[in-house]
Amino acid sequence: MRIPPYLQPGDTIAIVCPAGYMPRERATTCIETLQSWGYRVRIGNTLGGPSENYFSGSDDERLTELQQVLDDPEVKAILCGRGGYGLSRIIDRIDFSRFVKTPKWIAGFSDITVLHIHIWSNYKIVTLHSPMAGAFNDGGADDVYVRSLRGALAGEGANYTCSPHPFNRVGVTTGRLVGGNLSLIAHLVGTASDIKTKGKILFLEDVGEYRYNIDRMLRQLKRSGRLDRLAGLVIGGFTESKDTMRPFGASVEEIIRDIVSEYDYPVCFGFPVSHERENYALKIGVQHTLEITPEKITLRE
Amino acid sequence: MNRKNFLSSLLTLGAAGPVLAGEKRSSFVSTAAPFPLMTPPYLKPGDSIGITCPAGNITLKEIQPAMQLIQSWGFQIKVGDTVGKRDAIFGGTDEERAADFQKMLNDPGIAAILCARGGYGVVHIIDRLDFVPLIQHPKWIIGFSDITVLLCHIHTNFNMASIHSKMCNSFPDDWTKAEPVQARSILSIRQALAGERMEYTAAPHAQNRAGLAEGMLVGGNLKTIETLAGTASDIDTAGKILFVEDTGEYLYSIDRMFWHLERTGKLRRLAGLVIGGFKVKPDDPGEEFGRTVVDIVTERVKPYSYPVCFDFPVGHQKENYALKYGIPHILDTRDGQARLSERSVTIAPLP
Repeated sequence: MRIPPYLQPGDTIAIVCPAGYMPRERATTCIETLQSWGYRVRIGNTLGGPSENYFSGSDDERLTELQQVLDDPEVKAILCGRGGYGLSRIIDRIDFSRFVKTPKWIAGFSDITVLHIHIWSNYKIVTLHSPMAGAFNDGGADDVYVRSLRGALAGEGANYTCSPHPFNRVGVTTGRLVGGNLSLIAHLVGTASDIKTKGKILFLEDVGEYRYNIDRMLRQLKRSGRLDRLAGLVIGGFTESKDTMRPFGASVEEIIRDIVSEYDYPVCFGFPVSHERENYALKIGVQHTLEITPEKITLRE
Repeated sequence: MNRKNFLSSLLTLGAAGPVLAGEKRSSFVSTAAPFPLMTPPYLKPGDSIGITCPAGNITLKEIQPAMQLIQSWGFQIKVGDTVGKRDAIFGGTDEERAADFQKMLNDPGIAAILCARGGYGVVHIIDRLDFVPLIQHPKWIIGFSDITVLLCHIHTNFNMASIHSKMCNSFPDDWTKAEPVQARSILSIRQALAGERMEYTAAPHAQNRAGLAEGMLVGGNLKTIETLAGTASDIDTAGKILFVEDTGEYLYSIDRMFWHLERTGKLRRLAGLVIGGFKVKPDDPGEEFGRTVVDIVTERVKPYSYPVCFDFPVGHQKENYALKYGIPHILDTRDGQARLSERSVTIAPLP
């Protein structure tokens, strides 16, 4: 396991969009804030580029730019502007050889889960599941979640707490943290970017999915042996979840509770990792302790 | 343990509970079929077809048109306990659906199991089912959509043929008013069950890739196939003709699923690819994907040279012919249109 060097004042952070398109102005506050934190910011052509379709650029353009910032020794961290969809199309063409020799931070979430899981599974290099450029807008730059990104990049150890949920399964457990967006983790099963969960603390979040589909993806993880030997399970936000015309008959929390009922590791619900503002920076691959009591949840490095 | 040994140990164990439960089953999945293709006996007049709901729920009234038509074909119907049951979106609880399906697997008097409808729910029960009785007395399992789980599972684990077709919920209330393509689709179930050699021709499509392929026909609902990855029901597609269809998915999601097929090696060694119906969910405003299903597929199969056909009449649509799943077929797209025909053991090998 290797942790990229934490950032020093004056270091350069590159903002790129390896997946969906993002208008440049949506990243203005992010750029200014990163500068106010003492970092230099390099902006990729994929941020607000000339693309007129769903993607921030063609596969080749997105790949070339991501490759450049991965290989450039001046760039100490890569913050993805947004997710969307697109990494699956280029992940197998990325050359990680220089990155593996000189690791640097890769920060983002949602579709960026593909990068996180691919890098952790193949190279055991720590990445950062975190808010992206859009999260800085509308006062977000001042909230604890974006500040947790600042802290993580500067080398502060995570120590997050949140309030209890009636379905929580209490306990204390230690393990490396892995996880991300459920749809992407399910989509990666069977590929070269597949997740390994044995002995790990797994965290999951998703947005805009139907309940039956959340159930189906979790059943896939269960049937493929990815839920049975966890150290612990951290359930984040499943925001904007949809239901079919005929109700599924169980909430997302009930679905998850029932699927892991036969296991005995600690489980917590409602952890602040999500597509909403509540989204703490989490270091994938780093050993964490998860403590769940009837009063609160603590997740710390 | 190879599959043959596994099977004999299963048979030794007998019907003692859910012998297939467990997680360590990746060793069962292998390209070389470890035991020969099992084709269940085709149906004769007087044979019984069981109707059950392993996924979504349906009422007895809703299956009446299907029952009457199938009885008019000379078959008897055994209505499962789950018909008329409902637990939220399911045709009964997991226990009830598993028990009903198991009863039909165990019943030697049932020659075919017709799933009343899809929906969602087979993955809740698949690992509880004991397939030993099915192996001992093969029978046709019929359905599509969520039933893809069953078709994939018995193909992968037992090399057993099945039928991918419309289900009870697609039979018209009044048979005399059925549209011709709908009627032909439903009658194709009867032809498949009776053992006729199946042969279909799809309308010419400008983007078809010409070629001639031979291989077992496998596939089904694309999203369902993706969510079987890594599980004991996952399919191996090497040397096979793969067909896929889906409904209600965004274009970006369809693109992502084809990348999943690619990244799990399911496109690399195909004999041929059959693209059925795709009812696409419109893009959200500002998220226009800018590629059609044909674009997505054409881009993905560019590195390969096998035949590809589009708009094949299989999917969530009126024209959805019965396909014999797991049975060797020939896909011929040499003259623009696509012909998919069951390979007959009596015809000469391909030139």
